Amino acid sequence: MKHQLKFVDVTARPAVQQRRKQDLASFEHTFRSEIMSVQPLTEMETVYRIKLIDPAERRQFSFFPGQFVMLEIAGIGEAPFSISSSPSIRGEVELCIRKVGNLTNFLSKMGRGVHVGIRGPFGTGFPMEEMHGQNILLIAGGLGLVPLRSPIAYVQENRSHFREVNIVYGSKSAEQLLFTYQYDMWRKDDINLNIILEKAGPSWKGPVGLLTKSLSEILTGRQREFYHNTYAIVCGPPVMFKFVCKMLNEFHIPMQKMFVSLERRMHCGMGKCCRCNVGSTYTCLTGPVFDYWTVMNLKEAI
Amino acid sequence: MKTNGADDKTYLGIPLYRPRVAFFEFTSCEGCQLQILNNEGTLLDFLSLVEVVAFREAMTEKSDDYEIAFIEGSITRDDEVERLKKIRKKAKVLVALGSCACFGGVNQLKNRFHDLIAVNKMVYGEHPVNSGLVRPLCDIVKVDMQIFGCPVKKEEVEKIVINLALGKSIVLPKYPVCMECKANENICLFEQGEPCLGPITRAGCDSWCPNNKAGCWGCRGPADDANVEQMKKVMKDLGFSDETIMDRLECFGGFQTDEKNGQR
Amino acid sequence: MLFKTFAKEELKILFEIIAAHNRVVGPVEKARDRNNKPIYAFEDVHEFHDIQLNYTTTKLPAKRFFLPFKEDLSTFKIEDDKWQKSIDYNIDRPVVFWGLHACDINALNKLDKVLLHSVYPMPYYAAKRKNMFIIGIDCEPQPFCFCRSMGADTALHGFDLFITDLGEKYFVEILTDTAFNFLRELKTADALEEDHILYMKKVDEKKKQFTARIDTTDLTKILDMEFQSEVWHQWGDKCLSCGSCSNVCPTCYCYGVEETVNIDLKGARKTKMLYSCNVIDFAEVAGGHNFRPLRHNRLKYRYYHKHRGFVEAFEESLCVGCGRCGETCLAGITVSEVIASVKTGSKE
Repeated sequence: MKHQLKFVDVTARPAVQQRRKQDLASFEHTFRSEIMSVQPLTEMETVYRIKLIDPAERRQFSFFPGQFVMLEIAGIGEAPFSISSSPSIRGEVELCIRKVGNLTNFLSKMGRGVHVGIRGPFGTGFPMEEMHGQNILLIAGGLGLVPLRSPIAYVQENRSHFREVNIVYGSKSAEQLLFTYQYDMWRKDDINLNIILEKAGPSWKGPVGLLTKSLSEILTGRQREFYHNTYAIVCGPPVMFKFVCKMLNEFHIPMQKMFVSLERRMHCGMGKCCRCNVGSTYTCLTGPVFDYWTVMNLKEAI
Repeated sequence: MKTNGADDKTYLGIPLYRPRVAFFEFTSCEGCQLQILNNEGTLLDFLSLVEVVAFREAMTEKSDDYEIAFIEGSITRDDEVERLKKIRKKAKVLVALGSCACFGGVNQLKNRFHDLIAVNKMVYGEHPVNSGLVRPLCDIVKVDMQIFGCPVKKEEVEKIVINLALGKSIVLPKYPVCMECKANENICLFEQGEPCLGPITRAGCDSWCPNNKAGCWGCRGPADDANVEQMKKVMKDLGFSDETIMDRLECFGGFQTDEKNGQR
Repeated sequence: MLFKTFAKEELKILFEIIAAHNRVVGPVEKARDRNNKPIYAFEDVHEFHDIQLNYTTTKLPAKRFFLPFKEDLSTFKIEDDKWQKSIDYNIDRPVVFWGLHACDINALNKLDKVLLHSVYPMPYYAAKRKNMFIIGIDCEPQPFCFCRSMGADTALHGFDLFITDLGEKYFVEILTDTAFNFLRELKTADALEEDHILYMKKVDEKKKQFTARIDTTDLTKILDMEFQSEVWHQWGDKCLSCGSCSNVCPTCYCYGVEETVNIDLKGARKTKMLYSCNVIDFAEVAGGHNFRPLRHNRLKYRYYHKHRGFVEAFEESLCVGCGRCGETCLAGITVSEVIASVKTGSKE
C-alpha cells in the first residue's frame, strides 16, 4: 500500500477560543444563539436581541459599528443583517428586521428562547475613532436608521470625543419611524435629531418634505472650517444616496469623510459567492461601508 | 384522506399550515396528478403536510371545502369554463398544475388549424364533441401560482408543498434548463445535431429530457428574460428549418409566437 | 524543479502503480459530435487505454471534482424546536488527475488565490484541492485557445508531475516528493542537455500554432473607460443569458445558497449551487430590486469581474484562455471578439 496517497484531513479543528477567520473550520461555523427578546417597532419592523450561547464564544464576539452578521434559521435560510446595537456590548447583537422574505417571515413567527445561528461579524465598519474631535452628520432614510443606531450608540457612549452631532432622519410617515423611544435619550446626549416626513398627518409638528431639505438647512451658512471637519455617514435606499452625496459634495464635505453603507444580495459574507459584487468589488469584504471616493470609483454602486 | 397525528405538525416549534387541498382535472391526460401519486417513497409524508379533500385519481370521498385547488388541464368546452369559475370562487389559492393548465399544453396545437369544425369531424367522426379553442386557465380566471412541466416534476411539487406548509414563498428557477444540463454534464444536444430549447426554457426539471439525450421542447415555458428572438436566429444559423423551430416553440404553448397571436 | 525523462511505455506502468491504490480521473472519449469528432470529458478511469492522452480539450473542465455544481454545505437534524448542524466537506479520499492541460492547472492556481489564500478560505474547496495529485500533460493549441495571451499556456506550479511528449520519450517536470517517489518505480533518466533542447524546440513549435489571441495591454483601464460603450448592448442583445459560459469555465466559482427542509420535517440542508452572473436574478435582493436587470449589464459584469476586478485584487485575470466559453456559447460570443470590440468600439 506504499503507493496509496495519504488523505489530507483539513478538518483538524482549532480550539473554539482561537477561532479566526483564517481557519477553515470557521467558514461554516455558526454561533448557536438565542433570541433573548422580541420588540415590535412598527407593523413591519421588529428588533430581535440575539445572544451567543457559548460563554467562550461570547467573550470573543465583538464588532464595529457598520458591520453585519449572517442570521440563519435551519432549513429556512440565511441572510445578512446590519448590527443595530452598541459595539461595547460583547457576545450579543440587536437586529432590526423588516418582514420581506422567507427568513424574516419565519422569524416573525418565532419568539423568545428560540435558537438561531449567527455567523460573523463581517465587512467593514465606520471608522469611529478616526472621527474623534470632529462634527458628525448621521443621515438616514427609512430603514437606513437601522445600521446607524450602532454608530449613534458609540457617539452617545463617547460623546466628549465629538463636536456637533446631527442626525438627519427622513421617513415616509410618522407610523414608520423607528426607535421612537430613544429620541429623547439622543437629544439628552446633545445630539440634534432632525426628523422629516414625506407625508405627515395632522398631529405632526415637524418639517415635511425630502430628507435633503433638512440636510441643506443644517449645512447652509456654516463656516468653511465646519465643512472640512465634518464626517458624514449616509444610509438608506439607493436613490437617496445619489441626492445626499451630491449635496454633501456641493458643500465640500471631504470625500474621504463621507461614508455610505451599501446593500447587496449576499450568500456567504466572506468574499466567495460574488453575489454582492459591485463592479468587481466585494461588498461583504471591502464594504458594506465605503467612503465616497471609493464609491465614485465603483461601477454601478449608487 | 386523514393521516394520524398530522394536525399538530411543527417545524422548529412553529405550527405548520396544513391546507385543505383539492385536485381537479380538465382537458388533459391526468399525467401530472399521476406524478404526484407516483412518489411512493414520500407519499405519506406528502399527504401529512396537506389535507386532501378531493383527488379523483386517488380517492373516492370528496368535499367542496378546500383552500388550495390544484388544477390540471386546459379549457376547451363551455361546461369546463363554468366549472372552473366555480372552483375559483371556492379556492383561496388556485394553482395551475402542469403545462396544459399554464399555457394550454400540447392540446393547444389544435388552435393552429384554421378550420376547427373539420378537425372535430376528423377526430370524433360521427360522434362530435362540443370542443372549441384550447385555452389556459389564466384566460378565464385569476391563477395564483403556476407549476410548469409536462408532466410536472414531482420533486418540485413536493418542494412547493413543503414551502407552503412552512409559509416560505414559492420561487421557481428563473434561469433556463441549460444551467441544470451543464451541471448534469450532458453533452450539448446541438453538438450532436439535435435541436433543443434548453437555453430559453425555464429550469426546474433538472434537464430531464437532455439527460435522456432528447432535446428540450420547452414544456415549462420561457425562463425569465429568455432571449427567444436570438434563440430562433441561433437555430436557423445552425441549419434548422423555420418549421422545426416553430414546432418546438409552439408545442406546449409556453412561447408566444406571432403565428399563434394572429389566430387567437 | 527536477527534470527527468522516461521511455513512453513506462507511462502505463506509472498508471498501474498509481491506479492500483487510488482513484484516477482522466480525459476519456465520451461521445462523437455530429461531424464524428470525439467529445472528451474527465471521468473516472480504471484502464490505461481509456485515457486519451492526445485529447484536444474537454467540453467541461474537471470542475465537478473540486467545485461541484451542487454541494451540501451543511445538514441539520431537526427535533421539535431543536436543531443540530453538521458539516461535511464531501471528500473522503485523494483523487489523481491524469492529464490536465496547462490552462486547467493554471485555473486551479487562480482559484487557489481566492478560495484558499485569501481571507476566509473555503474548506469545501480546500479539502478537495489538498487531496489532488495532478499529472499535467502538454497539448496542441486549438483554434479557440488563447491561453498564451493570458499567460496560462505553461504551468509553473500547481501540479505534481508534468509530462511533455518529446516523440521518442517523455520529459517530466517533478514538483513534489510524492511524484518523485512514484517515479522511482520506473526506469527514468536525468534529463540531459539534448532533452532540454528538444523540450524547448517543442515549446517554440507550440507557440507558433496559436491563432486566437487577446491584447490585454491596459485592459483594466479600457474596461473602465468603455463602461458605457454601446458595444456592450450589442453583445447583450446576442446573449442568451443561459449561464453556460460560467458553467464550462474552469475559473468561475460564483454560487448561490439555498436551504430546504426535508419532506419528513426531520432534517434540512443548506445547499450550494454554482451560479452564473449572466443569469437574471444573480444580483436580485430580497424585496425584488435587481442591480443588474439587463442582459448587457450582466454580460459586462462577467468581463469586468474576470478582466478587471480580479486583476486589481490578484495581479492577474480570472481567465486562462481555454476558450471553452466561446466554444459552448450557442450565440457565438467569444472572449477575444468581445474584448477586441470593446477596444475598437464596434462589434464588427
